[in-house]
Amino acid sequence: MSNIARVLIGKPGLDGHEAGAKVVARMLLDAGFEVIYTGARQTPEMIVRSALEEDVDVIGLSLLSGAHYELCRRILELMREEGVEDIPVIVGGIIPAEDIPKLEEIGVKAVFGPGSGSKEIVDTISTILEHAA
Amino acid sequence: MSADQKPKPAYSPEFLAKFHDELEHMEKTTLKDRLSGGIKAQFKAFTGTEVKETKEEFRTGSGDFVVKRVYTPLDTTHIDPIMDIGLPGQMPYTRGRDPLGFRAHEWPLNYYAGYGSGESAGERYKALYASGARELTLAMDLPTQIGLDSDAPLAAGEVGKVGLAVDTCDDLHRALETIPLDEMRLATVGNCNSPWILAMFHALAESKGHDPKDMHFQIQNDPIKEYTGRGTYIFSPSVAIDISSDVTEYICKKLPKWAPQYNCTTTMRWGGASASQEVGFGIANSLCYIDAALAKGVDPVDFVPRMHLHMSSDNDLFEEVAKFRAVRRLWAKIAGEHLKTDDPRILALRTTVFTAGDKLTAQEPLNNITRTTMHVLAALLGGADNIVVPAYDEALALPTYESARIATLIKNILHDECYVGQTADPMGGSYFVESLTTQIEEKANECYRQVKDMGGAAAAIENGFYLKEMSDGMYRQFTEVESGERTLIGVNKHIRETETPIDIFKGDPEAEQRQIDRLKESRTNRDQKRTAAALAEVRRVAEAKNMGNRENIVPSFLEAVRARATVGEIFDELREVFGEYQAPNVV
Repeated sequence: MSNIARVLIGKPGLDGHEAGAKVVARMLLDAGFEVIYTGARQTPEMIVRSALEEDVDVIGLSLLSGAHYELCRRILELMREEGVEDIPVIVGGIIPAEDIPKLEEIGVKAVFGPGSGSKEIVDTISTILEHAA
Repeated sequence: MSADQKPKPAYSPEFLAKFHDELEHMEKTTLKDRLSGGIKAQFKAFTGTEVKETKEEFRTGSGDFVVKRVYTPLDTTHIDPIMDIGLPGQMPYTRGRDPLGFRAHEWPLNYYAGYGSGESAGERYKALYASGARELTLAMDLPTQIGLDSDAPLAAGEVGKVGLAVDTCDDLHRALETIPLDEMRLATVGNCNSPWILAMFHALAESKGHDPKDMHFQIQNDPIKEYTGRGTYIFSPSVAIDISSDVTEYICKKLPKWAPQYNCTTTMRWGGASASQEVGFGIANSLCYIDAALAKGVDPVDFVPRMHLHMSSDNDLFEEVAKFRAVRRLWAKIAGEHLKTDDPRILALRTTVFTAGDKLTAQEPLNNITRTTMHVLAALLGGADNIVVPAYDEALALPTYESARIATLIKNILHDECYVGQTADPMGGSYFVESLTTQIEEKANECYRQVKDMGGAAAAIENGFYLKEMSDGMYRQFTEVESGERTLIGVNKHIRETETPIDIFKGDPEAEQRQIDRLKESRTNRDQKRTAAALAEVRRVAEAKNMGNRENIVPSFLEAVRARATVGEIFDELREVFGEYQAPNVV
């Protein structure tokens, strides 16, 4: 699997602490991915629309405010409506351990907590893409 | 003074030449021996192998300065003990703004708290008051902070998540029902929504039977922070700064006990700015607000003495101590020059420290108590006027009552039990800290000039300069952690395979719906004519502003809040007039 996959990095919701999302965006650029960075304060609709317009292979969401479950659920729902539920969704940020299975249950492919290394993130994305291919 | 304690001449050329020889001699003998593994008396225990330092180059925590093996009088020859270091309470305030240091200081139990609905936050506030808290900074949720109602589509899932959901003044009243306003000093962030926050606290005082003039409220009123740190902006920087200076003007004229503004660099630092940038950008931002208020005819003496700079306190103990000393010195010089004043009320900068939440780790969170203790120590040694500390579990979730109490007591333990604070500026005169203070001041001055030359803080936001500088700094720190160059215990060193989970705060999943129900009821049960008229007045003033009229927007907000207009309704009027800001997308 080559690293020229297109990754959308977005921040759904109202929280605007973008530092973590930007670090991941730059790390993926360094690793050879194409990155579409949406910026903060995105509605689920905006995220899904960008994903469609940019024809991305992976959607990465950064969430810190505690609104992760509601926002991810809505995004995955919209993706199903658009028939693009096969695009893998990964999540990073402050996600309590007990919420990880709940996110996985609704279709999130991987959750990265604080301190996740670039190797871990890049390898996971590559593995997910291999399975998706 | 006895005969053998004669005062030494302050660094005569002969003394410095002699010290230079002394240092050179040490490097050629003891140091050379030590590095080559040579056996000197004090190294008997070592085997005779070559010794290497753990790094090629040692740098300060923010990466700006190389740290030498040892500092000596030779590193401070350019620093004037009177003009640059001076005495506490005197220009240039390097050693603090109070001649007593902390000797007359009682550290309050202060909390930054508030979550969920009015009921749950109310219970927390009540418990905090009962446990002795006398300073409380209210945290409000994100929809409230950007002027959205709890039932707005964008608010879904965010209601009550990072703070209290407030739609009308009744919500604030409910949360603070049991708190005696004359005993508790209240503050809140309120940046893009500051005229509304002012109006809300005004209405709160009225509804509890107080004259708002007699209350002590503090509003952050710092929209710049929202473009650079948290993304919680609404309007363009120029509109936001104009509205924020309306609040400053109103408070100065009508509410003499209120603090109208504290400018926050904490989030810029957390977002990747260095210690020197924090100082330089902070001064540029403060002056931006001062100029905006001056343009409305407000006398700086009426509000600058009540302003403070709200900074972070990061991992490098000595760099942070030097930073707090440097910011006071640089502020005194720049503000004196900019405002053409020698008034100590303006030149003696007050600092509030919110210690580095960004440096807390989710891994082995109890270690964060050690980290925050050092951050607090830096703030105390640096002479901060007020200290707020995030709880050890904040890298995982909102703090619990227990973790918040541990956090707030750190400063009390250091001050009351560990004898920190018996003498003013205990690091003053340290060759290292004095040298670093001057280095930071010089670098920060460059950062300040850079922003000034591009047109000031508003320009540095709009052209993406602040965001780019922060993003670069953040990515540099990240790659350093990845490579192991920057140590984070539990993250890249001494990693623990399995962790013991800790108890973390859990929100109330029903709170959002309850708040929405309450909001709908409030919208129905009000004097609709009065509400509509009040909203029309808000719009009229906003439109007048857009035409270049200098009318203050605050009075229209006071009536709108009293008339039970919701936060979303009020800000929708403004959004329609001013439009919303689109931030540059800087990675």
